[in-house]
Amino acid sequence: MADTTPPKRSRSSATIPPLAPEPPPPMSVPHSGPIPVAMGPDLSPVDAPAPHAPNLPAEPIEGEDAVSMTIDGEVVVVRKGTNVLEAAKRLGEDVSHFCYHRGLSIAASCRQCLVEVEGMGKLQPSCQLAVQDDMVVHTKNDRVAQARQDMLEFTLKNHPIDCPICDKAGECTLQRHYMDHDQSLTRVDVAKIRKPKHKDIGREIVLDAERCILCSRCVRFCEELPQTGELTMIRRGDREILDIADGHRLDNAYSINVVDICPVGALTSKDFRFAVRAWELRATETTCPGCATGCSVELHSKHEQAYRLVPRFDASVNGHWMCDEGRYTYKELDPATRTRFASIDGRQLPIAQALAATAKRLQGKKTAAVFSSTATNEANRALAALADHMGADRFVLGRPPGKADDLLRDADKNPNTRGAHAAAGEVRHEAELSLQIAGRAYEAVIFLDDEGEVSGVVRSSLSSLTSVILSDRRNALSDACTIRLPAASWAEHVGTYTNRQGRLRVIRPAWRPEDDRHPRAELVRELLLALGGRDIGTAREQARAVAEEYEHEELLALLTDPQPTRPRLLRFGNSRG
Amino acid sequence: MTITVKKVSLKRTASDQIYLPAILKGLVTTARHFFKNTLTKGMGDVDTIRYGEPDVNVEDYYPQRFRGVHRLMHRDDGSVRCVACMCCSTVCPARCIYIEAEDRGGDEEKAPKSFVIDELKCVVCGFCVEACPCDAIRMDTKAHMHPTETRADAVLGKLDLMKRGTQSVAHQGGVGADFRTAAPKADPRFEHDPR
Repeated sequence: MADTTPPKRSRSSATIPPLAPEPPPPMSVPHSGPIPVAMGPDLSPVDAPAPHAPNLPAEPIEGEDAVSMTIDGEVVVVRKGTNVLEAAKRLGEDVSHFCYHRGLSIAASCRQCLVEVEGMGKLQPSCQLAVQDDMVVHTKNDRVAQARQDMLEFTLKNHPIDCPICDKAGECTLQRHYMDHDQSLTRVDVAKIRKPKHKDIGREIVLDAERCILCSRCVRFCEELPQTGELTMIRRGDREILDIADGHRLDNAYSINVVDICPVGALTSKDFRFAVRAWELRATETTCPGCATGCSVELHSKHEQAYRLVPRFDASVNGHWMCDEGRYTYKELDPATRTRFASIDGRQLPIAQALAATAKRLQGKKTAAVFSSTATNEANRALAALADHMGADRFVLGRPPGKADDLLRDADKNPNTRGAHAAAGEVRHEAELSLQIAGRAYEAVIFLDDEGEVSGVVRSSLSSLTSVILSDRRNALSDACTIRLPAASWAEHVGTYTNRQGRLRVIRPAWRPEDDRHPRAELVRELLLALGGRDIGTAREQARAVAEEYEHEELLALLTDPQPTRPRLLRFGNSRG
Repeated sequence: MTITVKKVSLKRTASDQIYLPAILKGLVTTARHFFKNTLTKGMGDVDTIRYGEPDVNVEDYYPQRFRGVHRLMHRDDGSVRCVACMCCSTVCPARCIYIEAEDRGGDEEKAPKSFVIDELKCVVCGFCVEACPCDAIRMDTKAHMHPTETRADAVLGKLDLMKRGTQSVAHQGGVGADFRTAAPKADPRFEHDPR
């Protein structure tokens, strides 16, 4: 599981730095491994359950397993084995806690979630306490409130309170609990304990042991999810610190998750460090386009620039987590490399003129339609309609395979291999595309996306034929094509992917596509209309057709909403972690 | 109660009709003020501050809390006090403060790589000074923003803002015992790190 140390990343780099040191296999060599040559990719749905989440939210239940109890005078019926904290959450009581996390085992070490249970003398940690019949619990009487405040005072005793320079400020659980339950001045007048302030503990992570409140969430994460166990607590009492085990570094493929679950700013991501304050960001619920898993994520952006991806809970796909590799897919959205305007033979044109000129050039030519397993279902379906109209040969292009593991990462680094192949139908192998283009077998070629490995020979021969690319960012392939049409990236429009489980994954716009950029489905529609084809509808209408086909209610609601919800400001996003 | 009505007739006399006497009356008033305020010692009734003239000290006239052009304060070592917490740019109603953070190194960690204030956008509300947690930004220069020839000249960078700055007397990190320097060193077991 542990990768070797990769090259250092820079924020401005537009490409995703490879996590694996070995180069991807060249285009002309057929892929070994998961995608056999003759058969095409295996497209049967993969049974890939989400990582185990030990503590699920309490659901209403009837029957034998039901336990009835009273919390703050209200009766609640939950499943046997649920903890009191979840039962209280079901009633809307937000019991404060640091160490408890739904995706991890229970440690009950922070003592922040203490509640009073009638019949028990001492206050009990509600995260560890299973519900029992006729239990009577108080979560907000004076005794509990006092305990909560006292525990916060303990927690803050050695906390440096350097919120102005802390990356977690604004989304910090300790800040929130202090505001909700304490708000008192410090009574401690002795010096605080000094601990390592910024320790480089891994490829992605910096540790500030002074800020750490010793909740051990990160330790449990490393033991339970990637099962690498690099982190541990050393020393005792107020000298206790979080540290890496001797000779180890926090270099597992899921390490940035510890930043998300850290309730304070003790563990910070090197990539996001000092980049922007949390409260300046807007969150968009979308899907990670990094591999066939299609994890539910939030894209955090400001002023049409993406700053990070964080996982969003999805019980059926990714649980609470996502991989480090996937987090860096946001670098594709770098504004510096965006394709903003259409260009034909290096000349910039307004989009309407460019589409008309493109259609004119494509008219009656022997064409290869290159579908993309990184583009959405709608774009691939639109291209299928265009290929039908033109009688074009069909290919599917995507990123080369990469690393995989049992947890979340899939070897197929394309988000929509299944959707692209379903839309394209019978396709020729991509290796043949190189031969045919290099051999001038086609007069025109349409690339749906600029992702994918194409050899230098092919790129140089693209300039001599009508090569159209629907490009959202500049790279070697899009620069080699004669006609470049500006497409909206995955952060700029509504669309769907079909992941390895055959589930529909939804991407949502974080900002409007500026300049001449349009969703690919819309550009293909315009081309098809200009070539005298049928109207396949706008990108939204096409997405709606997909949603109706999959009976995806969430997407249907999103598309029929007359007032689409804007990305949520994290300023009002409460704490994370 | 009886209501009495007094009838007033506004008759235009010949002198009203030709306007000249009224004009002359006005000129006499103007002339009286002119000579009184220029020839009298002590400037008569005039309370004008001759702003910009070398012998005039603006501080004698401006209130103590007058908000002038911004400045950035220094630390003991001459570096900028600001830790790039973005509180000022967050609270700024005109959104005229642009900060980029970088790693300073050492325990303070964060510092502004660039700190830019667009003084043309600034509404001189002083919220940035209120919001600053470490006495880094101040508006107590008692200086107005100078007129500039181009708009770009009115956009002040970190070094421009630090030119007016001085060393702050405030304690970096707040009032009270500095737990970083006053941390107990008694326990040798803690100091010893085998790695």
